[in-house]
Amino acid sequence: MTPVVADTVVVPLASESDARETCAVLREELDPGTRVVVVHVIEKGGGGLDKASVAQREETAEDVFAVARGELEGFDVETRILYDTDVAETITSGADDVGADLIVFSPRQASRLSRLLSGDVALDLITGTDRPVLVLPSGEGS
Amino acid sequence: MADQELARDLGFLEAYTLGLGTMIGAGIFILPGIAAEIAGPASSISFAIGGTVALLAAFSLSELATGMPKAGGSYYYVNHALGSFFGSIVGWGMWGGLMFATAFYMLGFGRYLTGLHPDAPIVAAAVAAAVLLVLINYRGVKETGSLQNVIVLTLVGLILVFIAFGIGAIDTELLTPFFPEGGWITVAGTAGTVFVTFIGFEVIATSAEEIKDPGRNLPLSMIAAVVTPTLFYVLVMLVSTGVLPAEALAPDQTLVPISLVAEQYLGEIGATAMVVGAILATVSSANASILSAARVNFAMGRDKILTEWLNDIHGRFQTPYRAILVTGVVIVLLIVSGLPISTLADVASFMYLLTYTLVHVAVIVMRRADPTEYEPDFRIPSILYPVVPIVGGLACIGVMYQMRPVVQLIGGGIILVGVVWYAFYAKERAISTSLVGEAIAPDEAADGGDVYRVVVPVANPDTERTLLRYAAASAADRPEETELIAVNVVEVPPQTSPAQVEEDRVARQSELLARAREVAADLDVGLRTRAVVGHDAGDNLLSVIEDEDADHVLLGWAGPRKRSDVLFGSTIDPVLERAPCDVTLVKDPDEDLGSIVTLAGKGPNAPVSARRAAELARAFDASLTLLNVQPTAEDVDVDPETVGRETVEDIVEAADLDDEEYEPRVLVSDDVQETLIGTTTEYDTVCVGATGRSTVAQALYGSIPRRIVESADGTVVMARGEVRTPRTLREAIVQRLSRR
Repeated sequence: MTPVVADTVVVPLASESDARETCAVLREELDPGTRVVVVHVIEKGGGGLDKASVAQREETAEDVFAVARGELEGFDVETRILYDTDVAETITSGADDVGADLIVFSPRQASRLSRLLSGDVALDLITGTDRPVLVLPSGEGS
Repeated sequence: MADQELARDLGFLEAYTLGLGTMIGAGIFILPGIAAEIAGPASSISFAIGGTVALLAAFSLSELATGMPKAGGSYYYVNHALGSFFGSIVGWGMWGGLMFATAFYMLGFGRYLTGLHPDAPIVAAAVAAAVLLVLINYRGVKETGSLQNVIVLTLVGLILVFIAFGIGAIDTELLTPFFPEGGWITVAGTAGTVFVTFIGFEVIATSAEEIKDPGRNLPLSMIAAVVTPTLFYVLVMLVSTGVLPAEALAPDQTLVPISLVAEQYLGEIGATAMVVGAILATVSSANASILSAARVNFAMGRDKILTEWLNDIHGRFQTPYRAILVTGVVIVLLIVSGLPISTLADVASFMYLLTYTLVHVAVIVMRRADPTEYEPDFRIPSILYPVVPIVGGLACIGVMYQMRPVVQLIGGGIILVGVVWYAFYAKERAISTSLVGEAIAPDEAADGGDVYRVVVPVANPDTERTLLRYAAASAADRPEETELIAVNVVEVPPQTSPAQVEEDRVARQSELLARAREVAADLDVGLRTRAVVGHDAGDNLLSVIEDEDADHVLLGWAGPRKRSDVLFGSTIDPVLERAPCDVTLVKDPDEDLGSIVTLAGKGPNAPVSARRAAELARAFDASLTLLNVQPTAEDVDVDPETVGRETVEDIVEAADLDDEEYEPRVLVSDDVQETLIGTTTEYDTVCVGATGRSTVAQALYGSIPRRIVESADGTVVMARGEVRTPRTLREAIVQRLSRR
């Protein structure tokens, strides 16, 4: 496979294991010199009580970023925490803000039930964006 | 990024409903029976006492929460102020209290189910509900603000209906004797039992970091979130004990007292509605407690009082799953332990009363120690300090003292867990220093009196120095102490974390502010800097202006905008429209002002413009002309020259200018506007007052200032005076509350 050609890619990462797997693939596919903006979305309730405190999830985000930086050594890596109520929309507008020409992610395994309950972020991300999206094979054995 | 300010997105209403959502909960549907059995009709007074104790705690918590906006709430404040010994006790106390409270809610839930269907086994239903809730929170379901509002509104509506119809159904005979046999002692003891309904408002404190204008909104929403349910509860108790005899409400007589009461005057439908409301309330209260417990765990883990293992965030669900599971297991154990429902409630109350006692102590310690980083946006007003923390603390202890021995024993047991935990685990590891020593022997520091503050937003290194000099010129003539505040806002897109700004922008910000400090040192004026990272520069500036209680804000301005949706610029517009203080816009600031002209017309801001012009003329040694243009008279009796001179004199008086520091110039013309604009081009610097009340619109569409800006080559200063709008009652109360 030829390297992916893009000036700026946005990589939404959900957890440390997601960071490890996604970045390992990315490292092989990306042209060195690509600007990689790693984002972690903190989903907010918009007035309701969130499932964990913001400060706690910010700590988690930093852990995720640390893994990503390690995996993507040699690349121009930037990190951002995004806060909003809609994960897919937030990633899309985050990509807008950094002027990304590509969004890369690995869909997380989700049961039918959780898709029903919290929507399918992967699907929203693919259908709700105006720029190319690269979906990597999910590392969780599908 | 220590001095960065997080952008905030909860207003008063959001914070209020968040607090109300956890306060108007399970308690009101379960407790009336328990309270009525012990204290009879006077149990309404028990609720009032509980509400008062909570209100006092709200004051102290508001101060601490705005001074230390950190996750963990009371635990964090106590740990920080009193050290990890008390931190450990409060941490375990809150955790334990929340577990007992949740077990209480869940048993209440079980009783309600029985109310819907008599064969439902109470304990089994309670356990099943607890397990389900824990699993839901383990998995994490997004609780949206709108869902919460629906629940809060439903509950408020149900309670209002209950009260409104119930008051008419009260049989005054039932309310006598009002007091129980034990008299006041029993009433006070019952206050301990019902206090469990008041533990929810703490949730507002833990969200302090996300609340807009916390100095105002945090205490207000907290007080409102305590007072509203207190009033409801007092009335609910009066109705309950006035409609049915207290004995009929007792837990062994009825499982859902409120429903039984409602049935008397609202029939079967009313009874069922109350049961449904009760189920909604228990679930939402229990859910909030489980989530709050995990927050306490997180804060304890961060201080190394608990193991961080507990606070791992689930990779897929983004939830603190371990903390939730552990809390859940204890809740289930408590449910099956066979402790009576009232004991569960009492222990939860006891632990929170203990917590709030230490919160009151923590306020006094923080005040006495006065560490430099402690600058609460809200302070307990001086007439209430130290009365509130002292009375509040004693009230908590008093209520705890009145509680049943078995409750005190269990409460003491939880305290002992905290002490033992401290001795064998936390003492070695905890990273916290107590400020108690500082409090006993504080450093004396003088407090500034009334200071004239000029806020100067700086963004452009080329104009920064000049703007600061202009601001210094404005400060120079003041009799009182003066201070400049240079502020820079790094604007980040709405979804971006303020904590995740690119480093070069932060570096640029600190460079700008460092320069500002150099300039101030050069000019020998007092200057503080504020570095802000936010989503909306205009809003962020406004909060700095309010926060600093600024008298004047002076902004550079790039000139008229082509875009139709902004008039002066998206940052300037909100400041111009809403800043309560004097506002000055400067286009093309220049240190060589040469000749200054200010338009001395009838406009409301002409005197302010003259004052600004005079300040600049003095500081930069420039000439000053007050220009007035009159239309050619149609009436021979009126001498336009005289009218013009009088107008100029009025302005001189209003702006308090000396005779020798200005030249009056009155012109008479057929075309006032053209002459005015033509004449101003003779001068190097033009000052003009913003026209009219609705500043933005009129300054733009009132064509004179705009045309001046367009035709002038030099510096243009546009001034607007402070806006005095009548204070609303709320603002007046807030101002009283926050007066330092």
